[in-house]
Amino acid sequence: MKPVFEFRDVSFKYPNCEEKFALQDFNVSIPAGEKIAVVGRNGSGKSTFFLHCNGLYRPWSGEVRYRGQPLAYHRAALRQLRQQVGLIFQNPDEQLFNASVFQDIGFGPLNLGLSKEEAKRRVHHAAEACGIAYLLERPTHALSGGEKARVALAGVLAMQPEVLVADEPLNSLDPWAQLAIFDIFQRFYDEGKTILMATHNLSIVRYWATYVIVLEAGRAVFCGTPRELLTNRDVLDSTGLSRVWWKVDLDYPSEQKSRDEQ
Amino acid sequence: MDFIDSYAYSNHLRKVEPVFKAGLAGSILILCLLLNSPFVGLAAVLWMAGLAVWLASIPPKVFGGILLAEFGFFLLATGGIAVSITLTSPVAIHPWRLHIGPVWFSTAPQLLRQALLVISRVMGCVAAMNFLALTTPMTDLFRLAQQMRMPDTLIDLMTLMYRYIFVLFETMERMLKAQQGRLGYATFKSGITSAGLLATRLFLDAYRRSQQLQIALEARGYESGNLRLLTDSYGADYRLLWLGLAAVASLLLVWMMG
Repeated sequence: MKPVFEFRDVSFKYPNCEEKFALQDFNVSIPAGEKIAVVGRNGSGKSTFFLHCNGLYRPWSGEVRYRGQPLAYHRAALRQLRQQVGLIFQNPDEQLFNASVFQDIGFGPLNLGLSKEEAKRRVHHAAEACGIAYLLERPTHALSGGEKARVALAGVLAMQPEVLVADEPLNSLDPWAQLAIFDIFQRFYDEGKTILMATHNLSIVRYWATYVIVLEAGRAVFCGTPRELLTNRDVLDSTGLSRVWWKVDLDYPSEQKSRDEQ
Repeated sequence: MDFIDSYAYSNHLRKVEPVFKAGLAGSILILCLLLNSPFVGLAAVLWMAGLAVWLASIPPKVFGGILLAEFGFFLLATGGIAVSITLTSPVAIHPWRLHIGPVWFSTAPQLLRQALLVISRVMGCVAAMNFLALTTPMTDLFRLAQQMRMPDTLIDLMTLMYRYIFVLFETMERMLKAQQGRLGYATFKSGITSAGLLATRLFLDAYRRSQQLQIALEARGYESGNLRLLTDSYGADYRLLWLGLAAVASLLLVWMMG
């Protein structure tokens, strides 16, 4: 399988935090057409990694390749890359900049240089696919969290990307809203496209993902299938994931009783 | 503010081309300012209330309530025109006078007439603006401004500000609740401190959000320059056009008769 992204010895520091590498000698090869879970504690470099995929951050050293080609950072190349790679943020309020749902979804397509008619068609199509056609007339600030998340997703899907990169998109969504997002992701995956999703959830890694990347302190410490990760005692123990994912099983191996029952 | 906004998005004139609504409100406003007869303002209020209620299905209570609140406000302001308060005996042209202790209250018919003219003029203008605010969402007004060749940068700023007012307001409410939950406003002194901290945090939060916004916009293909905004097309409403022309004609008629 040809990789969609390759990171080769990528290092990156934030300008306001010179002493620490956000990514350090980061090497990873991301297979195309998979559902990829990206696991790692806060500050391990997940968001930095994702922002590199879209060309928003440029590595200090090393290189990023998209479909075999090193990323170019001039305007035309970035426009093409950003059409191909859609980025979804943790908090939809960060992405939704317009009080009109219709205009917000139409923003990306217009930036691609599409005609107004084509952009409108894309908006309706994306809204249909995300089940939010009934929201197009509503103002953004009157939407619930789950609705905002789906509008943000529609705004990215309207650009018809090949890869979706989602930074903990399920945070602060209730399970019903999470299901709606999963349904949209699944249809995207069924078209043969690639999804990267940051998550901390064992069930998602085990049952949703087809490939897992584990980050720690700016490095990729594991790449492989969920089965390989869950049978790799060394990685699970050294990253603390065994404790995180099975804490409840380990500490409370049997059913608990209420104080009355004891 | 919130409920005016929600009517703007849900009223029956929502899908009418904003230029019709703004044109009507604008011409009524200009007529109220130009024609100096107190009946013109009254007629304008009646027309605007009628159109908002019948065509846009704004509940009469809502339109009346907003108008009443504004009326109270302007009544205070025009009181100063109608009644003059002096410490010495008022001038001879003020035939109606009343003195309580050392203070003289006095007025004259022409002053009352002038106050009536001012308040009816103001109420007519305000009713026209209320009609526009209740029937047209902000985003449509921005689009109208764009069609009227307002500079794009200004429109981009308004678009972003209008959206982020609500985000900032939500953030403020959350922070305020968190502070109240930890007794931040239990005493006057702690209240002052908490309010100061809240303002600082809000400022920092707004700054952080502006940087995130830049990233989020670029991720969707924004290149420095202007925000490209997709506009929906709305229908013309000839009922509103004819009724609007009738309103304008009737204001002129009222002026000529009065």
